[in-house]
Amino acid sequence: MSAITAEDLSVFVEQLKRLLADRSSEAEVRRLSETPEGYDPAVWKALADLGVTGLIIDEDHGGFGGDAVALELIMEEVGAALLCSPLLSSAILAPALLQALDDDAAKARLLPDLASGATIATVAITGPSAGWIEGHVAVDATAIGADWSLTGKAAFVTHAHIADVLLVVANAPDGVAVFEVDPKAAGVSLTSLPTFDHTLRMSDIDFAKVSARRLACNGSAWQAVEAMLDLALIALAGEQAGGSRRVLEMTVDYAKNRYQFGRAIGSFQAVKHMAADLLMDSESCTSAARHAAQCLANGSDEAPSAISLAAFACADAFSAITATSIQMHGGIAFTWAHPAHLYLRRARADAHLFGSSDFYRERYVQQLGG
Amino acid sequence: MTTQTLTDAALKAEVTAWLADHWKPKAGDQGAGFGLHPHRDFMAKVVEARWAVPTWPKDWYGREMSPAQAKIIEKAFAAVGAPGAGQDRSNLWANTAMAHATPAFKRTIVPALLKGEIGMCLLYSEPGAGSDLAAIRTRADRKGDQYVVNGQKVWTSGAAVADYGMLVARTDWDVPKHKGISFFFLPMKQPGIEVRPLRQITNEAHFNEVFITDAIVPADNMLGPLNNGWGVLQTALAYERSVMGDAARGPRSGQDNPKGDSALVELAREAGRLNDPVIRQEVAQVTAYKVLNRLNNVRAKAELAQGNSSPIMSLGKLAMSRILHEEARLRSKLLGAGSLLEGPDYPRAEDANFLSLNAYFTSIGGGTDQIQRNIIGERVLGLPKEPEVDRDMAFRDVRSG
Repeated sequence: MSAITAEDLSVFVEQLKRLLADRSSEAEVRRLSETPEGYDPAVWKALADLGVTGLIIDEDHGGFGGDAVALELIMEEVGAALLCSPLLSSAILAPALLQALDDDAAKARLLPDLASGATIATVAITGPSAGWIEGHVAVDATAIGADWSLTGKAAFVTHAHIADVLLVVANAPDGVAVFEVDPKAAGVSLTSLPTFDHTLRMSDIDFAKVSARRLACNGSAWQAVEAMLDLALIALAGEQAGGSRRVLEMTVDYAKNRYQFGRAIGSFQAVKHMAADLLMDSESCTSAARHAAQCLANGSDEAPSAISLAAFACADAFSAITATSIQMHGGIAFTWAHPAHLYLRRARADAHLFGSSDFYRERYVQQLGG
Repeated sequence: MTTQTLTDAALKAEVTAWLADHWKPKAGDQGAGFGLHPHRDFMAKVVEARWAVPTWPKDWYGREMSPAQAKIIEKAFAAVGAPGAGQDRSNLWANTAMAHATPAFKRTIVPALLKGEIGMCLLYSEPGAGSDLAAIRTRADRKGDQYVVNGQKVWTSGAAVADYGMLVARTDWDVPKHKGISFFFLPMKQPGIEVRPLRQITNEAHFNEVFITDAIVPADNMLGPLNNGWGVLQTALAYERSVMGDAARGPRSGQDNPKGDSALVELAREAGRLNDPVIRQEVAQVTAYKVLNRLNNVRAKAELAQGNSSPIMSLGKLAMSRILHEEARLRSKLLGAGSLLEGPDYPRAEDANFLSLNAYFTSIGGGTDQIQRNIIGERVLGLPKEPEVDRDMAFRDVRSG
């Protein structure tokens, strides 16, 4: 259950919309894409002041106790505005993982500063084979007395380049566990990756006998990772829904105002039919994202399959809409100066961040009993 | 608030008691449809008791009730499976006549329609006027106090048993196409009407062709003003869409079919194809189309309930068309060479092949997918229409074929 009322949530979303309109314009997105950090600390502060960074963190740790429904809704705005920020890593992955574990000391130590935005954290999940199941974890943990030492490789770690804290999923002798690591510790080497989506920052991380603190977990730590991924997939679905609607709107506006052969190109059925199909994709995307969020928030038995459905349906919809948008715009969208490719890049990143559509279709069939 | 609750409760008690006294279902009864109503005697009682059209005026078999109260009556009828309620929402024929017929014609036709005493059919589409319905060439020429009708209609259900057909015919050839059409209740049982069953690609005949040669229709059977039939047609089509919303048929072999979201998984398992990773992807995708359409409809209803219009409403038919075609394609693929067969000994193939063909009922009937995309593009997204070359031309100069 969310600690935020529906009324407060809609006020919150309105405030976020205004903030993004002011501080995440296309010009800002382009400017920040070219900086090494990839985000604006002042905007991060404004997001924190508004409560976005603490949205899903419980109230005891300085957050708002927002549920998946709240998260999905704010992500629709984030996706529409192509916000450049470590939101996904520090306000979703890290707090979701901490809250799924059972380490009260770690929660008390880390969550308040994540909520306030003072600390930026991220989670290293998979290894170079980049699969989102347990077998792809490629960091090994060895106990040295009461301490732990990590060795191995983590790949595609989001926003690690600006992280103050790394939460690392690693193979301990007794199974997968989560470790807290200082990214400045000896033996950590980060390699920044050149991302196709310029609004995104990713790194590979090499661990060579890195000192780490193991976080307590009563059950399976991989289940905690899965709980985190569920919330991350809903966040992405929200981003994809918001992005899809914005791109469709932009494309339809263009089709009304671009004249060729003496008439608006949107009057040609060849163009109009593409737009109608995109509306279907866009509305289905929104329905799937919101339904998955509601299922998770209500603790419904349907949540796992609803999340799988949202994962592939929203990824495919945003990818199709951004790709078709370029075709519908014609030459103007083949230019760097036009924003269509910025959304295409974001769509393609979102579609692969935590597993492909094919992966989630396969999971969906399994959940249907197949 | 309390008074309203009491009134609702009292109404529910009254209608429930009335049904207990009057509704005696018989085995093998059919629901409402084209042609004579199987429960005509009961229907007459429903109309006389003012349960049929409770939102209508009191001198027109109604009770001047709110739609919310009318819903109470409909639910009570539905609970016992009794026909005849809710006709103010769903009776295409009676609503059209009520809105547009002359006072004298209305007096005779409306009660007969409500009581199910007369059969009806639709005389809209023609071989040369499908998607472009305003291009009709069936003509109605004035002769004294009647019109003489000549032409050909198609896709007419129930034509063989109908007493009247709702007819659109051209009454002025010298004005643009939308402006020279009139709307009639054409008597069907007369020598100038010939009905021929139309064999469909599914090897069934649910529709007819209707050949009209010097058929007579009294001038008083015209609905709406002369040459204003296009406007009447729009209100009739709106009712028709609400009536025909869920017209798509399921499998016809009679063999049990798995139900629910896992239906395609079960069919794939039965066909021994569930281990094929390509098939698994397709099962997930086609199931997703179905589930997404359901989620869209739930969201649209929620938005409408809050008083917001939803763009989703106009997407439903297009979504259903894709679902039907894709599901049929996948069912055929699961069977492999088995889909070469048909008939009662091969029920899975029979169903897959029937569904493959019958999917066109939805993707063509009631406006093709392409027309539907035009409607979505224009009415929902606000894109401009294509220029219409025949829009302002006298119809007799419009090229056809």
